Amino acid sequence: MKSENIAISLDLINRHYQEPNRNRYESRYFWEELYSLVAASGFSSIEMPYEPVWQFGGRSGVPFNRYCINTKYGDVATYRTLLKERGIDRVSGITFDSNLFMRNANLDFYFGATGHFAREALGYAAEIGASYFAISPSPFYGRMAQYHPDLQNVMEDFTARTVKLLSELAEIAAGSGVELVLRNEYWSLFGPQKIVSLLEALDGKAKMDVDSANLFIAGVSAEAFIKNNIRQIGCVHLTDTNFTDGNNIWKTANPEFPEGRATQVFRDPGTGSVNLESITTLLRDELDYRGPITCSARQTRDPFRALTRTRALLNQLEK
Amino acid sequence: MRNIRYANMCHWKSIPYRKIDNFRDFYYEDRSNIAYYSDWDNILKYQSALGFEGIEVAPWDLADILPLFGSPEKFAEFAKERGVEVIGMFHGAHASHAADHFDEAVSAGREAVDTIVKFGGTYMNTCPTQNYYGVGPLTRDEVRQCAKVMNEIGKYATDNGVKIGLHNEFFCAINFDNHRELIESTDPNLVHYCVDTAQIAIMGEDILKFYHDYHDRISTFHLKDTASQNLPDAVRYSQDPEITDDGTRWFWEPGQGNLDFKGLYRLLKQYEFKGWISVEYDGSPDLLASMAMTRYFLDNELRPIYD
Repeated sequence: MKSENIAISLDLINRHYQEPNRNRYESRYFWEELYSLVAASGFSSIEMPYEPVWQFGGRSGVPFNRYCINTKYGDVATYRTLLKERGIDRVSGITFDSNLFMRNANLDFYFGATGHFAREALGYAAEIGASYFAISPSPFYGRMAQYHPDLQNVMEDFTARTVKLLSELAEIAAGSGVELVLRNEYWSLFGPQKIVSLLEALDGKAKMDVDSANLFIAGVSAEAFIKNNIRQIGCVHLTDTNFTDGNNIWKTANPEFPEGRATQVFRDPGTGSVNLESITTLLRDELDYRGPITCSARQTRDPFRALTRTRALLNQLEK
Repeated sequence: MRNIRYANMCHWKSIPYRKIDNFRDFYYEDRSNIAYYSDWDNILKYQSALGFEGIEVAPWDLADILPLFGSPEKFAEFAKERGVEVIGMFHGAHASHAADHFDEAVSAGREAVDTIVKFGGTYMNTCPTQNYYGVGPLTRDEVRQCAKVMNEIGKYATDNGVKIGLHNEFFCAINFDNHRELIESTDPNLVHYCVDTAQIAIMGEDILKFYHDYHDRISTFHLKDTASQNLPDAVRYSQDPEITDDGTRWFWEPGQGNLDFKGLYRLLKQYEFKGWISVEYDGSPDLLASMAMTRYFLDNELRPIYD
């Protein structure tokens, strides 16, 4: 496993939550400098979130959907050329979650909007040359419960519709050279304990995106989980945390910000309690894993520090 | 009793916590200032301490506020306990110029009024339709259609104790050429006006003349400054001009641009304006500093003219 093949996710930029100087994240100049700084940190491959929200309200400076790319660059090919000029050789993967569309009690709206934008995102992933499309199979459990207090009653229908949508997306993905992988977020209706049965329902059409911090939070041994499911793993995210969920925070409306006790759930890689050395050694030496690996420093307090911290970690792991 | 009370238009991005009880521990996790901007308890206290007794929320805040607090009423109660009342909510009347969108535009407007009532607010400042790019120029029939929608929403709002105020953006399909036509096509008993000082100045209006001409329609203000008055059509009508590629700011804290706020306050005094004024800090890198800067300017430059 060579660290030059490991991507960094641009989710290290805090687009959505308040902090001083956050306004610069909405302008094109910020991102175009960022690509160079990412490359200077030793990453030539990036992962990008796909976020339809930037299409609404004229915030097209954030390069996280097709509308924004077309608005600022004309087309995806021109954007790829710019990335290359800044030292980014490839976009390894695209991530997508559906929390934006869980905003009322209407499941037709949720599945309609999620399906529409996921298909759009998948087409974008293929065009930008991504090898994987990592989708969250559900919104936050707690956000769903907010609008569907009878969650247990709608779960069977929700699961069936989710399987139908994911099957359709997996077929589109396969036809366009992209692998559909399901994220194993601890707050999901299909968390680490249920993701395997969801994959079985998809009949081999999709694989799993293993995220080390999410497993840690859910109290699942990453090493054991990876060993047991290696054939179904299509992507690995090296993420870090100190948080363990002893109070069912995963069921709350905003689970990445634990109510009752504020904490930074996702730490910069190498600064938390996840044994990333053990995980990478297992993948490399024992399991000969050759699939995509992406580092994520989401929720970092300082994206530029996180870039160099992550690089320092990878240098250490490569020794 | 003061004639003017001050609010902030909410430009905070998502605030993830209601109240942080473990503030010191949270701070020590990374020793950054993120703890200072992560809970509504402190955000509202900052406002209250700086004399901004109201907050105008935005519809895009609801996706976070509602799950966090459970309901508009609970957020309003939480804010009130900290000395801040919810005065209203912004609304975008998407596609109100399109006749085939009438029912949807009116329905969305009524829903927004209902939400404001739940917050205990009384203002609904409303952008009359979407951006110029891809839509403009509007025909006179389309402007009249906008007015028809505004009147319909205005009637429902008025019946529910809410004042709808037209709020123009410099990049809206309602723009310099049809801005006054729209105002004059609406029913003055049902549809009022929120003067966004920077937006209409950028669009090409003289804020003093505009207020003089329409003072009896003005329900409230979005007070902000600009150094970019009368931007050319090529900018105003372009795609997504509000956030610039190079970080150029159209909007500044009152006193940091070059609008004649002292002249405006002399007119407010002349016409005896009474009500809320929301200050806006779009594009500020530091909303707390902007609030404090504005408070100083208000207290030392504007309130001595008219309070």
